[in-house]
Amino acid sequence: MRAYAAYLLGRFGQFLLVVFIGMNIAFVVTHATPIDPVEQSIAAATAFGSTSPEAIAMMRQSLRELYGVQGGLWPQYASFWKRVLVLDFGPSLSAFPTPVSALIWHALPWTVGLLIVSTTITWVLGNLLGGLAGYLRDSRSLRVTGLVLMGFHPIPYYIVALLLLIVFGYLWPVLPITGGAQMNMARGWNLEFVLSVLQHSVLPVLSLVLVGLGGWFMGMRSLVSNIVSEDYVVYAELGGVARGRILRSYVMRNALVPQVTGLAMSLGGIFNGAIITEQVFGYPGIGALLISAVHAGDYSLVLGLTTVSIVAVSVAVLAIDMLYPLLDPRVKVA
Amino acid sequence: MLSIVGSVLAQELISNVPRKETLIVENPEGTIKNAGWFNIWAINAGGQSTGLQQLAMDTFWYIDPDKGIDGVWDNSLASEKPIYNKDFTEMTVKLRKGIYWSDGVEFSAADVLYTVQTHLETKGLRWSAPIQINVAGISAPDPYTVVFKLKKANSRFHALFTVRWNAMWMMPKHIFEKAGDPLKFSFNPPVSLGTYVLNSFDANGKWFIWQRREDWQLTTLARFGQPGPKYVAYVDAGPPDKRVIAQMNHQLDIIHDTSPEGMFTLAKQSRLSRAWFAGFPYAHPDPTLAAVIFNTQNELLKNRDVRWALALLIDIKAVSMASYRGAATISAIGVPPTGTHAEYYHRPIEPWLKTFEIDTGKRKIKPYDATVGKQMADLLRPSLGIQIPEKPEDIAKAFGMGWWKSDPQAATELLEKAGFKKVGSQWMTPDGKPFVMKITVEGEVRPVMTRAGSMVAQQWRQFGIEASTVVAQGTLAERRAAGDFDAIVSWSVETWGGHPDLSYFLDSWHSQFVAEPGKPQPARNWQRWAHPELDKIIEQVRGIGFDDPKGVELGREYVKLVAREMPSIPLMSYNVFTIMDETYWTGYPNAATAPYTDPVPNWGNTKYMMVKLKPRQ
Repeated sequence: MRAYAAYLLGRFGQFLLVVFIGMNIAFVVTHATPIDPVEQSIAAATAFGSTSPEAIAMMRQSLRELYGVQGGLWPQYASFWKRVLVLDFGPSLSAFPTPVSALIWHALPWTVGLLIVSTTITWVLGNLLGGLAGYLRDSRSLRVTGLVLMGFHPIPYYIVALLLLIVFGYLWPVLPITGGAQMNMARGWNLEFVLSVLQHSVLPVLSLVLVGLGGWFMGMRSLVSNIVSEDYVVYAELGGVARGRILRSYVMRNALVPQVTGLAMSLGGIFNGAIITEQVFGYPGIGALLISAVHAGDYSLVLGLTTVSIVAVSVAVLAIDMLYPLLDPRVKVA
Repeated sequence: MLSIVGSVLAQELISNVPRKETLIVENPEGTIKNAGWFNIWAINAGGQSTGLQQLAMDTFWYIDPDKGIDGVWDNSLASEKPIYNKDFTEMTVKLRKGIYWSDGVEFSAADVLYTVQTHLETKGLRWSAPIQINVAGISAPDPYTVVFKLKKANSRFHALFTVRWNAMWMMPKHIFEKAGDPLKFSFNPPVSLGTYVLNSFDANGKWFIWQRREDWQLTTLARFGQPGPKYVAYVDAGPPDKRVIAQMNHQLDIIHDTSPEGMFTLAKQSRLSRAWFAGFPYAHPDPTLAAVIFNTQNELLKNRDVRWALALLIDIKAVSMASYRGAATISAIGVPPTGTHAEYYHRPIEPWLKTFEIDTGKRKIKPYDATVGKQMADLLRPSLGIQIPEKPEDIAKAFGMGWWKSDPQAATELLEKAGFKKVGSQWMTPDGKPFVMKITVEGEVRPVMTRAGSMVAQQWRQFGIEASTVVAQGTLAERRAAGDFDAIVSWSVETWGGHPDLSYFLDSWHSQFVAEPGKPQPARNWQRWAHPELDKIIEQVRGIGFDDPKGVELGREYVKLVAREMPSIPLMSYNVFTIMDETYWTGYPNAATAPYTDPVPNWGNTKYMMVKLKPRQ
């Protein structure tokens, strides 16, 4: 137990180091961008309106003061860490003075909902079908399924998304092609709203599942293909253990260990958002928020989003590392 | 079976609002990050063309980019035009009586005073800077009169309160005076001075729904009748392809803009889709002049012969085909071919253009070709047939009039005159280096302009210049302001459209505003070009009234000067493919029979469209 505690402590130290390095890289990259949030705001504010050159010079000065981007890099770095430690990323520079945390909070539930559902469906289906295909190698229907899934896998995601959009949005327009729920519907935990959200998520989820299934399927099939020739599986078969039990307890359980690691990484990656999905289907979420922040040079918002992402991925990896010795008795920590 | 499943799955587009009473419009701002922010006076804090500026805001005057609902000029909150004193140091505004905010408080001079005082006292509001630079004081002799005392003479001060897309909107004193810091107040829900009031909005910024005020008669627009749509929804309609699909499904009544290809698809497949022009080129020409803008502080481009040589290497027909697939409205001169400008500038100046000569060093040439617009029409007619107009005046309106001849021989002579030499197939500068021209373009954010830049670069390259494009993407604003380009496809000329006064952009071209190389250049003289004759024209314009006929004469002098000097190569108006679906609404503006306003729906001026729209029976 002491060894496990020491392992946990060391692993937690690594986690903190990874988060610290990741956030420093994010700070340097965002501040190295050639896009100046003040110039972006001025360009947007004067793109149409009549404003004299003298007024623009004055506006530039006022915005630099207002956005707090006048100081050098070190004061900004110190201020960044001060804010992060109290979980405050400051005001967004492209939606000033709205706090970054408020913008993230509005968008995050949609992304998390969409990606948890699609990742879970993809993982469960992909592994189940892959496991069956690896074990029941003579099954014709599983071979056909494999062909279809592997056929979708290499197609660029946006092509699949556009195809779905055209098929279900135009040729047979039965599904909504934009938004997270019906326009003007009051939000709340009621059946009407939940059904509307589900309906609006069908195409985004379907697109992610179609493209993602092949990867899990192939991974699981090859893992199972290797395991079925292991001695303990052969002995179990010779010993007359039921095939269903062999598949569940001898094959799948062992094959799932690396797949669980993959799942944890994917769930952590949820916080990166689904940029193309959100763009194509007009789905609310942090992917679209990130793109708009990058275009506007809003490094407060970019930093807020990348921090959430870095922490989420690191936590997922930490969690799986902590659980690994418990999941797989072959893993020793001392 | 499919139709049964379809009907089971199908859901009304909007909940709790009858589709037949709702106009659905694309908001080109897309998704609004902080949807609950309606304080339009804070810079870029929230959305503007969510319906907020079109339906809920108002100010003294509007100038229409086209013909206007009752003439180009409309006195909106003001009851008459601005009244200046003799030396333009004082402007008096008479306010309309009987106009009410949506919460029942009457609009009065107190609101104007509050708006201006707040901008005088607060740094960083959208109009703080121009107010602080211009206004010495403001007073209200009575509740319906406001007098501005200006710090210095300014004959165009009223432009600040005159809508061309937007202008300085009036603030409700009774709301803001209780709100604390005006930079931090979200103004949610907004109190409206327009004919609509906010009904609901998506917290994720995808849609905003406005509802016609019960007391719409108490707004300035009521002079023209009752607005047709009871509800107006501004939505994030997604990428161009989705906008086309949405309109085919009759889920998007007005597309703000799409690709030329999207326009052609709808023209072919959607029976009730309408555009500004009934046929080709469909798009509405905005009062914005797309151009190849030179950085005239670049040593090589200081010489006008070099600039002219580069202009004479362009085949505008090829640029039109590459950029707009032929649906461009070209202009040879420094004014967009839009609104009333053809009548004030393009047509009157054409005789001069026909005789205009440039000296190549070896001979004098007349570079203007009056038939280019017709050539474009002839080029497109075999494939598009009856969609292409026949009458010369219709062709001029749709495709523009003439342009500069493509004349590589004259370009050769001009470059040689400037000391350039051709070595093999490569042009060399006077100091023996390869002649390199990098054209900065915006990239996928603005594909039409990017394609125009690529075509120009190709034509220069074919001539032996080392020309290429640089894709700026999100950094365009910084690069343009810093002068970090040889040439850039952008616009430095924007006009009122309906009114011939050019000061909207021209005043900023005075040499007093040209930045040192490397320093940020304020809008809009991106070419960083200065000329004593131009300064003289601008100073004369500053000294005369907005409607003084001498202004048009001075405008024509400017046109001749920039034709001689070519600080930027004018290409075409910024054509916007606004497409309107008549499934639910009729009465949209169009070029032939109803040019009463610009249909491009993010313009503040589109409030006038609402009273012309009628439900389709």
